[in-house]
Amino acid sequence: MSGYDWGEFYCEMQSQQDQPHLTRITQRLNGLDISALRRRSRDAERELFNLGITFTVYTDREAIDRILPFDVIPRVLSKQDWATIETGVKQRVAALNLFLHDIYHDGHILKDGIIPEALVTGNKHYRPEMKGVDVPKGTYVHICGTDLVRDQKGTFCVLEDNGRCPSGVSYVLENRHLMMRAFPDLADGVPIADVDAYGSRLARAMSKVAPQNMSNPTIALLSPGIYNSAYFEHVFLAREMGVQLVEGRDLLVDDDRVFMRTTSGKQRVDVIYRRIDDAFLDPKAFRPDSQLGVPGMFEAYRKGNVNLANAVGTGVADDKAVYAYMPRIIRYYLDEDPILPNVPTNICGEEEGLKKTLDNLDELVSKPVGEAGGYGVVVGPRASKRELANLRSLIKADPGNYISQPMVGLSVSPTLIGRAIEPRHVDLRPFALTGEDTWVLPGGLTRVAMKRGSLIVNSSQGGGSKDTWVLV
Amino acid sequence: MFSLVSRFAANTFWLGRYLERVENVARILHINETYARDKPEGPDWQRVLDLYSDSERFHEAHEDASAQSVLQFYIRDRNNPSSIVSSIVNARENARSVRHLISTEMWTHLNIFYSQLLKMKAREILPSTLANTANDIILSCQTFEGIAEGTFLRGEPSCFYHLGKYIERADQTTRILDIGYALLPLGEGDAVTSVQWNVLLRSVSGYHAYRSRYPSGTRVEDIERFLLYDNEFPRALMLCVSRITDRVRDLEKRHGTERHSEVERTRRQLEFALETGPGNDLTPERLHAFLDRVQIHLGNVTNAVSQTYFG
Repeated sequence: MSGYDWGEFYCEMQSQQDQPHLTRITQRLNGLDISALRRRSRDAERELFNLGITFTVYTDREAIDRILPFDVIPRVLSKQDWATIETGVKQRVAALNLFLHDIYHDGHILKDGIIPEALVTGNKHYRPEMKGVDVPKGTYVHICGTDLVRDQKGTFCVLEDNGRCPSGVSYVLENRHLMMRAFPDLADGVPIADVDAYGSRLARAMSKVAPQNMSNPTIALLSPGIYNSAYFEHVFLAREMGVQLVEGRDLLVDDDRVFMRTTSGKQRVDVIYRRIDDAFLDPKAFRPDSQLGVPGMFEAYRKGNVNLANAVGTGVADDKAVYAYMPRIIRYYLDEDPILPNVPTNICGEEEGLKKTLDNLDELVSKPVGEAGGYGVVVGPRASKRELANLRSLIKADPGNYISQPMVGLSVSPTLIGRAIEPRHVDLRPFALTGEDTWVLPGGLTRVAMKRGSLIVNSSQGGGSKDTWVLV
Repeated sequence: MFSLVSRFAANTFWLGRYLERVENVARILHINETYARDKPEGPDWQRVLDLYSDSERFHEAHEDASAQSVLQFYIRDRNNPSSIVSSIVNARENARSVRHLISTEMWTHLNIFYSQLLKMKAREILPSTLANTANDIILSCQTFEGIAEGTFLRGEPSCFYHLGKYIERADQTTRILDIGYALLPLGEGDAVTSVQWNVLLRSVSGYHAYRSRYPSGTRVEDIERFLLYDNEFPRALMLCVSRITDRVRDLEKRHGTERHSEVERTRRQLEFALETGPGNDLTPERLHAFLDRVQIHLGNVTNAVSQTYFG
């Protein structure tokens, strides 16, 4: 690791050298020559390919299997850091579930003016069909992926909540298996929290939210099918949970009950872990052109004859605009301060936020709240004068449609790049499971931006992943 | 315990069939090439096309049935649905759908096998190296079979897998015997006849098994009896049909006699056809007609299984 310079950023390994285990891991890495490290890295990637832990890119004639690049240097979280993340995520999930129940029932939070009603009921992920529907145990977000980043001071902040169909957990488990085969000596004597329980925990959470408190429900995982890029994960989870993996065409609804087509005829299904968006779930209730869904399933759900995880209509809670209100939502329902802060967010719909935004436009990242996929985002320090002027008039014309945030200098982690170890920016997505109560998988998915200086960790942009070790 | 989703029953059945098909296509290409060594005019590749009823489709894209073009057609042509590469692609797609029901080792092996085949270049497929190529393919299929035997849970999915495998194997054995009768001299006792029939036996890994059954020598009608009716040789038609019967009985136990009646009816017809046999005074035409009948009955069993369980 000689010559490794993490600059002004927080380094996941070097900034924590007061942790004896991290010192030990650093020493071990220093004791390896780079060729040995590269060999282990190549072996690991070949294994990923052979195991078919791939996402598939389809062209006209061929299916090309790609692996998510895997970096052999783990990201390590101290006991203290993990305690903060774990309690913070639990708090956030609790608030999200209370919020969703409220907005689909009496809407106290709207009446009390904590969050503008239009922001909620006018949101494209808000499902009026869910109004008055009671879901088992009041749990809407059974599986939650909270995207965290660490700023230059080392504080974890929430960047985004994923309360619809968060993906990536299969990589957490497979990365660990891979790491233990490729690099068993690195972890020698370092106590690391186990991740293997995820599948059984998930199955348990699903059975806790079965309709009518039934004790031995039939659970199925509903996938869009083998051409979905996350199909590997669906297979992986079905196997880890020991449940059936089905597609929409394997299910049918009869008398508002959901059944699987099996070799012995129709078999009742009680809980469905669905990896299909709301819009495609049921052509009778939502998009009529959906080929992936099951006609009549929503009615069966509304009547309480089947449960769906996550619940329908959770998208409203992980929206950018609602995100800005999350600290207030947490205070409103739990009467607690948020354990994990948001990235400071200026809400332009409010006078103070608007002023701060307009005064510092060239330093802030401004985002229209109604858009997805980074559309309309203006990064102040990188924008031209003209772009900023244009943005200024857009915000003034419709302040409620904008939020702004300071640039966050994401933490870095030592990463094997070619023949050197270099700092690369990382984020963290812990996974929380909620049936009756909430359990957080120790660790989570660490995504790493493989390009120098890049802050974009998405796999579609050349991002990779690392094994994430939680010290116990 | 849950029942098997119908679609997965179909996937495991076809996984078994496609892999068995790959192995046998490799065996048949191998035999055809090997026979030709003794013939001045070289191997007749048109026969292989006839055997699989692929002649019309082949000639749409190719002029002559040359060694090179037929080997490409059967090994790496993605446009030919009965090529080895197409079967492997299909086997893998089926396996992918039931990845949660098969073992990781089965999936990994199939995945490696698939990447190797896709990487194979046209110039690597030559009549002179066919023996090696075919043996590699056969070995990969056998490895898969061994992995399945050691790791595949013996539940309903494996039942459909074996059913598919033995139906395909029975079908392929009838085709191998058919090509033998069409290609080989039927003269009794002469050296050329023996050598060539021995090659056919070796191609189904049956040479030593046959020797131990019929130590007195190579006789065409003994070979026919051996490949059709032997109770212990794994690729003999009789043994395949008795394995089919075992699996059909397993399904009957699981699902009840009534649900199962059509499968059972077609199975009995298959068994009956086999018991009646090709008759005495065997001529190539009679044998061919008999083998055709068996293939039709195997198709009927497949249809019945499909209608009963895959719908």
